[in-house]
Amino acid sequence: MINPVLGREIRERMRTGRAFVVLGVFLSLLILTVYLVYQGTGSTGEIQVDLARQTRLGRDLYEWVLFVMLALVLFFVPGLTAGAIAGERERQTLLPLQVTLLRPSSILVGKVLAAMSFLVLLLVASLPVMMVAYLLGGIRVLDGLKGLGIVLLVAALLTVMVASLSSLAKRVQTATLMAYGFTALLILIGPLLYFTMRVADGSKGNDLENPPAVLLVINPIAIVADATAGSGSARQSDGGNVLRWSREQLVEAKSYNGESWFAWFPDDDSGAQFRVINGRREGFPAWALGTIALSLLAAVLSYFAVRRLRTPAEVER
Amino acid sequence: MSATDLTSAAEGHGTGSSVGTTDLIDVEATDFMPDDSVAGAAADLPAADVAVRAQQLTKRYGNLLAVNQLDLVVPRGSVFGLIGPNGAGKSTTFAMMASLLRPTSGRIIVMGADPSKKPRTVRRRMGYMPDNLGVYDNLRVDEYIEFFAASYGIHRSEWTALVDGLLELVDLSVKRSAMVNSLSRGMKQRLSLARALVHDPELLILDEPASGLDPRARVELRELLKTLNGMGKTIVISSHILAELEEMCTDIAIMEAGKLLAAGPPREILERLGGARTVKVRFATGISETFTVADDAEQAALLRRLLVDEGRDVVEFVEHSGGLEQLFMTITEGVVQ
Ligand SMILES: Nc1ncnc2c1ncn2[C@@H]1O[C@H](COP(=O)(O)OP(=O)(O)O)[C@@H](O)[C@H]1O
Ligand SMILES: [Mg+2]
Repeated sequence: MINPVLGREIRERMRTGRAFVVLGVFLSLLILTVYLVYQGTGSTGEIQVDLARQTRLGRDLYEWVLFVMLALVLFFVPGLTAGAIAGERERQTLLPLQVTLLRPSSILVGKVLAAMSFLVLLLVASLPVMMVAYLLGGIRVLDGLKGLGIVLLVAALLTVMVASLSSLAKRVQTATLMAYGFTALLILIGPLLYFTMRVADGSKGNDLENPPAVLLVINPIAIVADATAGSGSARQSDGGNVLRWSREQLVEAKSYNGESWFAWFPDDDSGAQFRVINGRREGFPAWALGTIALSLLAAVLSYFAVRRLRTPAEVER
Repeated sequence: MSATDLTSAAEGHGTGSSVGTTDLIDVEATDFMPDDSVAGAAADLPAADVAVRAQQLTKRYGNLLAVNQLDLVVPRGSVFGLIGPNGAGKSTTFAMMASLLRPTSGRIIVMGADPSKKPRTVRRRMGYMPDNLGVYDNLRVDEYIEFFAASYGIHRSEWTALVDGLLELVDLSVKRSAMVNSLSRGMKQRLSLARALVHDPELLILDEPASGLDPRARVELRELLKTLNGMGKTIVISSHILAELEEMCTDIAIMEAGKLLAAGPPREILERLGGARTVKVRFATGISETFTVADDAEQAALLRRLLVDEGRDVVEFVEHSGGLEQLFMTITEGVVQ
């Protein structure tokens, strides 16, 4: 039987206009991105077909659409998911739910799946935009799907974490603040730590003792950047996309780490994610490492969420 | 004491206040009454006849004893009213009954199981309605009930008949396709009740269901509860207004500041704890006066004084038992948390 919470959530969501407003905003911003990138590549209005330019345009589009998509996900997920359980508490609908035979984990899973199904809808709806890049010839279909897939994966993990956090708050407002704070922390803490440590190292004139590059990897943006590294456009270092920049930082961090255990980092910015040693692929892709780390974090948070939802409790609500 | 004893005792009380000697118990004394006396005659009912039994049930929040060594027996098939002023600990007690809150100490058995150890066993047999009416914003009445049916693991094929039956029972059939948040407070209250009944529980725990209802909705709710009780369901209901429960309940418990002050059938409590009695006297001059007396002796003395000593023309002399309401006021007065 379908999870009751999921069924109810989908009904409620489809009935309000909000879902469609969000969808509209999401797609509009993606289309705006396409437009801006197209303008930015210096169209002179010539009718002449320039294949090289067109291919470059396709790659740039792919990079930008992917990045804006990720940025929107990072922005929308906390806002849309923070109310998951705090909202039930605030509306005082949680107690009736807790005296049913529904298990605490089912409540959490239902909430996560409901938020996820909406995200899938968002990302599938943006497939056509991604297709523009494909039609221009910059990427392969596989690259497009890979990009969508990894954004979806990051979105799913973030959804689990935010929904879990939501169970700790009594009010939606608190939960929303917590969610945005947490997401900001998730994005910023790794790079901040890494670069602070590197600057500190540098001032000591001690380049061999470099901070662990793994700090950079436990990061939603780095995960998407690394997973899409093989998608061609990374070769050009023009264009100031954050994904491209992330990749460069990952490569640089790896080079600083020399022969240390961070062997899983991309060897170059064309996206070789494994080191080839004596013809064998060694190591572990950075994006997978980041994903595992975020999955562990999500698991820990959801454990506490389920504990928090379990009744009888020591203190009500 | 057997069930037959209980029945005959109840019949005895029905015959009026003249039965037995009504000894007046002063307010302070109630605090020191032995537990079995407070818990009433139901304390030694056999387990099979008991819906809820609390023993020394205690819930502590920091320094605050929200529920303090509560002994309570809810007989099966009864309509049990828990009465107390705001903050008395009624909701806390109910939350412990409803497997939502873990007691700090003491024990509670609900429909034969300990809610702390076997919450799901209790949940299958118990329906709970919290004191606040949370409803979903964008859900229809039938969808609302279906959602809870699903949450109780009831198969989809049974939903339609279930929704029909429940809406019929709570008289909301015409609102079947209405949005939940468009209902009036009374309707939401009845819908909540329908929700609590989704899995056909034997025990219903209703936390202040009548609060905020207009008089008509109150009467309708009372009728509905009578129907449910007639269907064999045990009903535990709370209120801070005694009048709401007085005539409907077969058993009541009065609590304040976490402590049980009295429990038993309403008549029995009234009998046991007395309470001030008033006498309304109408004179030939057309003037009426009300006098307060403690017992029969004082009442007789009053009559003698009016007729003999003062020689007034008494046309009417009516005893006015204060009822539970007044008893409630008397015994809960002055106990400050
Ligand atoms: N979660 C809580 N934390 C601290 N104190 C609480 C909590 N819940 C209830 N209380 C306190 O316990 C007492 C009993 O509350 P409650 O059971 O809601 O009373 P009632 O339902 O009779 O009005 C009150 O003084 C209340 O402030
Ligand atoms: Mg209450």
